[in-house]
Amino acid sequence: MTQRTKLHRAALVLAATALAVSAGCAKEDAVTTESGVKLIKKDKLTVCTHLPYAPFQFKEGGKVVGFDVDVLDLVAKKLKIEQDIVDTPFEGIKSGQDLKTGKCDIAAAAMSITPERQKVIDFSEPYFNATQAMLVKAGAPYKTLADLKGKKVGAQASTTGLDYANKEAAANGYQVVDFKDLAAQQQALATGQIEAAINDLPVWADFIKKNTGKYAVAAEFDTGDQYGFGIKKDGNPELVKTVNEVLDTARQDGTYDAIYEKWIGKKPESKDNK
Amino acid sequence: MAKLKRRQRQRLIRWTQYVIFVLVVGLVAYAADWDTLRESFFRTDLIREMFPEVITVALRNTVVFTVLAFIFGLVLGTMLALMRLSQVAPYRWVATGYIELFRGLPALLVLFMVGYGIPNAFPNREIPGGVYGQVALGLGLTAAAYMAETIRAGIQAVPKGQLEAARTLGMSHSAAMRKIVIPQAFRIVIPPLTNEIILLTKDSSLAFVLGVTAGSIELTKFGGDLLNTHVNATPMVVAGACYLIITLPLSQLVRRLELRYNKAR
Repeated sequence: MTQRTKLHRAALVLAATALAVSAGCAKEDAVTTESGVKLIKKDKLTVCTHLPYAPFQFKEGGKVVGFDVDVLDLVAKKLKIEQDIVDTPFEGIKSGQDLKTGKCDIAAAAMSITPERQKVIDFSEPYFNATQAMLVKAGAPYKTLADLKGKKVGAQASTTGLDYANKEAAANGYQVVDFKDLAAQQQALATGQIEAAINDLPVWADFIKKNTGKYAVAAEFDTGDQYGFGIKKDGNPELVKTVNEVLDTARQDGTYDAIYEKWIGKKPESKDNK
Repeated sequence: MAKLKRRQRQRLIRWTQYVIFVLVVGLVAYAADWDTLRESFFRTDLIREMFPEVITVALRNTVVFTVLAFIFGLVLGTMLALMRLSQVAPYRWVATGYIELFRGLPALLVLFMVGYGIPNAFPNREIPGGVYGQVALGLGLTAAAYMAETIRAGIQAVPKGQLEAARTLGMSHSAAMRKIVIPQAFRIVIPPLTNEIILLTKDSSLAFVLGVTAGSIELTKFGGDLLNTHVNATPMVVAGACYLIITLPLSQLVRRLELRYNKAR
């Protein structure tokens, strides 16, 4: 074979490979169910979450369980499919990036609805009322943020708790320490690396239950946090509608209360978790 | 004391060192609270709980991530090495630019780019292979930069006489490279490339930033999750042992290959 023919052959092979690879790289069409809900994987509700965050989502016996998991099971049941859970860092979830890049259909991570997040995420209606709270070791003398002047206060990366801690830091004179997840924050408090930890109240309540006598909530900050499920911005309106429908039904027929009691405890009479 | 002869002095010093070593080890062993250590690092019930998933899922995924990234990096790295040595100046510039860029960026950052940057820039395309493809791409891009330099050094280490002899026999430059130089270069670079695979094994622990499902979890995240659940370091010890199962035999292999190569020279 002449040199020219060999060169032509090589170029052809290269071009063909490039074409094949780029064609293969085309995104699979998202599947659309009969109700108009878009899913990235057929027959699966792909859920992004960040573990651990008991009692909303955490691993037990090798499976992911929790309040959020049970509520989304209701949605999956309505769509006649199953949940497929992806555990991924929280930054990607709350910035809407995971939804935008097609990592999952819906994000369930005890995520508070904020105007900033609403710019990049379509939220379901609120499904849980929470509030920020400060956890300290039992018997510690701190009652307010001002008591922590000169001390270290821990918060979890990318959470509204961290935002709150940062906001109040200058006025109260404490140092904020940023932890990559709840477990790291809990360990830091347990080992005395921080004097107080700020996170959502239900999470601390669960933590106190599992560690009787060791910790106490020193203060609550009425921030009016409400959790919502996150869906791709302007990408999947049918899924938002389905989730809201499921939430409404669950509240009416008592399923919501049952899930609440299972994971959080008896509902206080006065609060209405709408 | 009478002046000791040099050999006697050395023997005395050596024996003193032995005695000190034994004393220190004995002291540490005596002072250590073995029960607490066992409770913190060696809880047998937690160890039992980890099997078989730690091998069938976590170890398997770590190996898969490593091998995929290595293959991608090797192919790309060889191409870059050849481009670096090319007569065509633009090839050299592209290759040098690539190598400097990816040697300067942390693998974690590259993985973030692969996981978030690329999907944002190309919204209708996805990297084939799901998370395995993304990890292979992210780690492979970084590994290619290091391997390119190693392979280039290997190619340049092949005696120039080989290439000249091949050309004299009528082979074209590319045929000579393909049939004579590159095979010899690879024999030279196998030990450093095996080192690269060991490094990739550890870099596979970064895969968690792309999001893990139950099926794609690797050793460090697996151990870390259990560490969180049980607030005990035993799962990390087991995960660490699994890494050593991969890396120690590879290190042995490197040493054997180096010996064999040195003998063959």
